[in-house]
Parts: sequence; C-alpha cells; structure tokens
Amino acid sequence: MELELRGITKRFGAFTANDQISLKVEPGQIHSLLGENGAGKSTLMNVLFGLLRPDEGEILIDGVVTSITDSGEAVRRGIGMVHQHFMLVPVFSVTENVVLGFEPTKSLNRVDYRQATEDIHRLSRQFNLDVDPDAIVENLPVGLQQRVEILKALSHDAELLILDEPTAVLTPQEIDSLMEIMRSLAAAGKSILFITHKLKEVKAVADVITVIRQGRVVGTAEPSASESELASLMVGRDVRLTVEKTPYDPGDEVLEVRDLVVLDDRGLVAVNGVSLDVRAGEVLALAGVQGNGQTEFVEALVGMRPVQSGTITLHGRDITNLTPRQALDVGLGHIPEDRQRDGLVLTMSVADNLVLNTPRRAPFARHGTRNLSAVNENAQRLVRDFDIRTTSIQEPASSLSGGNQQKVIVARELSRSLEFLVASQPTRGLDVGSIEYVHRQIIEHRNRGNGSLIVSSELDEVLALGDRIAVMYEGRISGVVDPTASRESIGLLMAGHTTETASV
Amino acid sequence: MSLVDATAATRVAIPVKNRRTRVIAVIMGLFGVFTVFVFGFGSTSGAHSSFTFNPINLANAPWRVGSLTVVTRWTDVVLGVVMVALATEMFLRRPRRGVMARFGFVAVLFLLGLLFWAARTPGPSPTSSVNITAILVGSSAAAMVLIFGSLSGVMCERSGVVNIAIEGQFIGGAFLGSMIASTTHDFFFAALGGLFVGGLIGLVLAFLSLRYRSDQIIVGVVLVTMLSSLSSYLNLQVFTPFPNFNTGILAPNLPIPLLSKIPILGPVFFNQSGFFYVMIVLVAVVSFALFKTRYGLHVRAVGEHPRAAATVGISVIRVRYINVVLGGAIAGLGGVAFMATQGQFQVGYTSGYGYIALAALIFGRWRPSGAVVASIIFGLSVYLSYNLVTYNVPISLYILQMFPYLITIAVVAGLIGRVRAPAADGQPYLRD
Repeated sequence: MELELRGITKRFGAFTANDQISLKVEPGQIHSLLGENGAGKSTLMNVLFGLLRPDEGEILIDGVVTSITDSGEAVRRGIGMVHQHFMLVPVFSVTENVVLGFEPTKSLNRVDYRQATEDIHRLSRQFNLDVDPDAIVENLPVGLQQRVEILKALSHDAELLILDEPTAVLTPQEIDSLMEIMRSLAAAGKSILFITHKLKEVKAVADVITVIRQGRVVGTAEPSASESELASLMVGRDVRLTVEKTPYDPGDEVLEVRDLVVLDDRGLVAVNGVSLDVRAGEVLALAGVQGNGQTEFVEALVGMRPVQSGTITLHGRDITNLTPRQALDVGLGHIPEDRQRDGLVLTMSVADNLVLNTPRRAPFARHGTRNLSAVNENAQRLVRDFDIRTTSIQEPASSLSGGNQQKVIVARELSRSLEFLVASQPTRGLDVGSIEYVHRQIIEHRNRGNGSLIVSSELDEVLALGDRIAVMYEGRISGVVDPTASRESIGLLMAGHTTETASV
Repeated sequence: MSLVDATAATRVAIPVKNRRTRVIAVIMGLFGVFTVFVFGFGSTSGAHSSFTFNPINLANAPWRVGSLTVVTRWTDVVLGVVMVALATEMFLRRPRRGVMARFGFVAVLFLLGLLFWAARTPGPSPTSSVNITAILVGSSAAAMVLIFGSLSGVMCERSGVVNIAIEGQFIGGAFLGSMIASTTHDFFFAALGGLFVGGLIGLVLAFLSLRYRSDQIIVGVVLVTMLSSLSSYLNLQVFTPFPNFNTGILAPNLPIPLLSKIPILGPVFFNQSGFFYVMIVLVAVVSFALFKTRYGLHVRAVGEHPRAAATVGISVIRVRYINVVLGGAIAGLGGVAFMATQGQFQVGYTSGYGYIALAALIFGRWRPSGAVVASIIFGLSVYLSYNLVTYNVPISLYILQMFPYLITIAVVAGLIGRVRAPAADGQPYLRD
C-alpha cells in the first residue's frame, strides 16, 4: 500500500500537536518516524488509525484521498496498528484474540475455533511468526504478545502496519527478532510505519527516516545518517537559550550517588549502576534521549521508586530509599517530569497546591488542624513573587495554563529552604517567557550556593543551565562534559558512544 | 524463530502460589475440628440420628425408601476427620485449581454434620426423624432464586457492569409478579411482568452508569433502596386495602412423567414449578452464549479489555446496554419465581437474597456453572438457617440466620477463593 499524508494538522485547544505533517510510505518500505516523547508521533498515528480527526490535511491511500472516521474504517482500508500498549485481552487465548471482531462462525452464531486456528497456523507459516494458538496471552512473554498483535493485524489483511514504539517493552533479543519480522514483512510487500525514539533501531531497520519535533517535520534522513546527526535533529537547535549566571564556583559535594540500580515498572533494569556527584553552587544537567533511565533515576532520588542497590547520600547522610515524605523532610525539592500527574492535585485550589509539600507544618497547620489564613497569605505572596497568572488563589489548579501550573510547582518547591533541588524536564511544553522565568529561578537557587540536578532532553536547556553535563544512555552515564563541549560530542554521548569523561 | 521458542515461551508459568489458599485450608480445617468436637463429641454417646426420604406428598412417591439411622457421635467424627483431611491436603499441596470446589464440598459436609447433630435423639429408636427430601425440596426453591440472581450478575459483570441492583430487581419482579398472578391467575403473564420490570431497572442502571458514568455500585445501591421503599409504599397503598391484588397464589408444580417418580431426585428436580425448568434452560443458554458464540466472545472482551474490543469495531456501550438489560430481566424473573414459591408479597420480602446471589456469583467465579454450585450451597444454608429451629438446635434463630450472610461477607470481601473478576468490571468506559 502506498500511504501519503499531506499537511496533517491536529490541535488540542491552543496546543498544536501536529503541524502540517506530510510524509509518504511506499509499498514494501519501512518508514521510520523518529521523534521524542511528546513530539506528536502518537497523535499522528491516532489520526491515521481513525481514533482522532485531523483539523487540516488529507490522507491518501494508493493516491486516493480517504477519510478515516474510526478504527474499524482504518482496518477495512488495510491499516493495521500494533499499539504500544497491546490491545489484547490477557485472559483470552491467542486464537480468541486474533479473531476478535472478525470471527468465523458456524450455526447458532458459534465461533468456529477450528477454522480460526487453521487460519492462524497458515498466517504464522506465511510470515514466519510462530506462536501457539491455544496459549493464554497473559502467560506469554511480551515479545510473543507483540507477535500476536502483529498476527491480529495481518489476519485483517493489513497492507500497512503501524508499529507504535514497538521496542519500548522488549528485551534486546526480542528486539532483534522483531527487526527480523519487520524485514520479512517488508519483503512480502507490506508497508511499515515504525514509530520510535531509539536511534540505533532506526538505523538498523529503516529505509527512510522522517524526524518530527514539537509537532513538525524537521527533516528527513537516510539510514546512513550518523546517530549524532539524528539526535541533534530530534532534540533541535532552533532556539538558543542564554541565562545570566554568576561564575562557576563549586563548593563541597552535596549529593553523592554511588552505583545506583533502579528497575522500571516492568521490573527491567532502567538505571544500571549510576554514580554521580553534585556540588554546592552547581547545576548538574542530566542530558539524554528520553527513556534512557532518567525518569527512574529521578524517581529513585526523591523516594518515589525503590532503589535496588547502591547508595544516595545528601551532605553525607544516607537518603537511600526514603519515603517521599522523608525526602521532603530532608530538604529535597522536586519539580516532577509530569506536572499534572505528580506535581499538582488539579482539582485542588492554587492555594492548597502551594502548600502541598508542607501541609502538616507550622504555620500551615496547628494542633492537627489547618491554618487557612496562613495558607492564603502564603499563596498571595507566592502568586505575587512568582508572577502566577490566576484569577484567584481559590481557583482549581486545572484552570491555569501549563506555564502557570509549572510556576505553582516552582514557587512551592523553591519557596522553602531546600538542601537540594531535583528538576525533571522543568520547561517542557512551556512558552519562551515561562521558560526564561523557570530558568532564572533555578539559577538563583544555584547562585545561593545550593546544588541542583536538572534532567532535560532539550539540548539547549542542558547547555544553558548546566555547569557540568552528564549524559545518560541505556541506564548508564555515558560521559560527563563541560558546557563548552560541542553539540556533536554531546550528541555522540546521547547515542551511546562513550568518551573520556571530563570529571566525575 | 522456531517452534521451540514458541513452546518454551508458553511454558513460562505465572507464580500464583498465594497465601490465601492456606488461609482457606485453615478455615476448612476449623470447620472440621468444630464438627468433630461440637457435633461429634458434643452429642451424648448413645445419640442416634435418623432420616427419612419419602416426600411429604406421598402421591408422588410410588417408591418407598426406608429410613436411615446412624450413631450421631461417630458419624460426625468421621465427617469432621474427612474435612480436616481435605484441609490438610490443601494446606500442604496448595493446589492451583479446585480450591473453591474443595471449599464447597467441605461446606456441604459441614451442613450435613450440622444436620446429623440437629436430628439426634437420645436413644437408638428413632422417635423423630429428619426428612432429607423435604429439606432438599425446600432449599431448591431458595437455590433457584439465587441462581436467577447470580445468572443476572454473570450477564452484567461479564460485560463489565456491576449489578448491585439484583435485590431491587427481585423486589420489583416479586411485587409486579404477585399483582399479575393474583389478578390473572396466570404465571406466564407474571413472568413477562417480571422480565419487564427487571429489564427496566437494568436499563436505568445501564443508562446512569454508561451514559453518565456514575459509580455503578452507588447507582445499584440507590436503586435497591428506592425499590424497597417504593414497594413498601405501594404495599401499604395497594395490597393492604385490596388484598385481591396480593392473594399469595403459588405456581403449580408441573411433574414430569416418570422422572418425577424417581426417589429423592424426582421430587427435587422433576416435580417443580415451571420457573425451575426455565431456570435450568437459562443456565444452559447463558453458558452456551457466553462461551461458545461470537456474541459471548464480544461480551467477555468488553468486560476484560474494552479498548481492545473497541479497536476491532465492537461497540462497548451497546454490548453493555444489551447485557445489563437482559441481566436485569433475568433477575426480575427471579423475583417472580421467588414470589411463586413463597406466596404473598410482604415488606422486606426478599431479605437480601440479591446480595447472597452476588456472593454466589463471586464464589462461582463469574461462571454460570460455578454460580449454580455456589447457589445450591447458599440455598441449602439459607433454608437450613430458617428451618433448623424446628429441630433440636439450642441456637437462636437469629444467630443461625446470620450464617449465610457471614459466608457472603467472607466471599465478597475476598477472604475465600482466588477471586478474579473480569478486568474491566465496574470501570466506566471512556472513548478517549
């Protein structure tokens, strides 16, 4: 199938998730869509699969303009989707999952399982996708579950397969096996749209690469392009950020991390023996393409995720495996990556959100009851000092714009006396003004002689804020460099090449 | 990529050695110990228990079965020892399957032990005896109603909607059923009325929980409360001044030729009202529909993973509407069946049968067959708790009546059995 997208635009309110995206997938081609999380890849796929309607632009299948109104329509048009979170019923057998919605039946509306099993055998042989049709899906390893998803799409006569971050959940061996499958499907004439943020995989399997960033196509590349080239395309270089800083004058080590090992939600090693030091009066920027263990690393630091092994010390005091409340009490400030999930209680007022980390302390609470006038005074002061735009401090946090929501978090975290600040993607999705503001707050915190760890996948932000830059790749620190290092060398580190570390 | 890798993968077992199996084993063991010491050694050494098996209405029994007299103490001791043995086996082996079956078997043994104990007389000559057939016939009525209720639950919950309103559907069915049966003297119309009112309550539940995504449990409880008050009010306003609307007419038994003459089994299974036979057919139909048909596959997919079902073009909302309305209708019919065996409608008539049916549904692991087995056990204990007082039992009626509800709490709270509801049970479905 030949698929062409012309000028697809999808907006959510004021936010443009897809901005004039055009691309073309040829039959038998593996077309890779490369971009960071939040770049708009999944939105585009949902448009293509009929789950979302585009605001502008058109979809052409074999040269004919087609409107895809729902996923049933997409399936009928020969588009198959392998979802990032598998659309499989865990307690069903492989056969039941594959035939669901398209069951062969015999009399009395009975499902003809014998026929179905035969069909699956035939398909598995044809595409070399072995799986036991009678196995219960939840008992299968993830790699085989994905194979079931692919079989399901193929059984609906898909000519174009969309693979949405298919390797995110796989082990390296399973990834190799998937690459094999993709190649053989392409060889059989199927078109494949492969969505990922992993450079190595793209280079290994793609015929054509389209890179998108912040909802726009920022370039196309051949698989022969170097990884650092692809990385810098992905994270962008169009905005140059500068922040006024006092000269770098580091003090003693504040935070010491030794051989930290942390698992992700699936129980796989996400942080694999990371050691880092952060000194007083220093911002250590942790760079890297997303999904290389930064999230888990930060969650382990602030007590949101258990540490498997290794130690974290703050001013020489062991703070490994604290509860989040203990982490607050030792003076860790945290600006979380997902502000709406981990940073705010959206339904609560701005005033309450501003004391979320200190509700039990004087002056906000006394004898187990809340002191609302202190809470409100605090809110009024912070709204003024941090320039939070809200009609009232009693408005729910959900009514604020993204930038102002982030200011609420920054104000809350930085307005109390901190020993250490951990900020994860502190400016994601913010407008330039808010970015500048948040940056200034972080640098002021540093200038007061405090240590900070800033995690960002934006290279510009890393270069603007960091006094030193550590790069994380596949759960390890692939290098630590000065902010004077070239973008190319950082790009190489982000792609997993290791270099001489400047200092640790 | 070969067959080897596929089969090796399927062999990956899930570690479900849960501690709960042992907890259940201990509970079973306690039942056994209780049986040995209270029922067994608690009865005097000379005590005997005696049973008869002939139906009360001898016209239906061309056969006569002799009575059975046993020594109470040692019979109960043996029963208790068997229970302890089963418990020990389960404690040590921690089997993955058949936990509920073993528990059910021990529960039946316990009830039997209780019965032996209750029927004991001081000497070997039976002065009074317990009529087993009468007990089975009596509890079959309770079991039938519970089966209607738990089948309704299976229909709803398999599609992902919790139907707490079964009790309300019972009340509605019983009320309208009594009115129609009393005026038309025809239980066919009463059944239609029950189907209608149950389905209507199901529709309200479906509408509120699917359209407005209200909390299904709360909606269900509200519906029960509302119907229970409404029926009290209408009872006062309609049935009290016009007793002709609530005559307490019972559905006639329809004996099946020949089969109804079989000793013990005949009166229990083949000399029942039409509702009983309808119930049996319904169990078969629901089982078949749910596990063999295309429709059933869709229902189960919707109850387990609605998004997956939606991506292959199944309308989640539609499937849920259909099932909740059908399930409601079944429970409404159950209400009529209840009224047709119990007589006159009264306030507080269904006394929590709907909730016991829910427990039977969980105990039966959301399967029609399991629900039937659980309903029989619950039906037996409900019946016995009401009727043991007529025997030689020095326990307050009210304490005994708590028994089925205690089991219900234990089951619903997940204390007993590996409870695994449909994954999307009770979850509202949102399209993005």
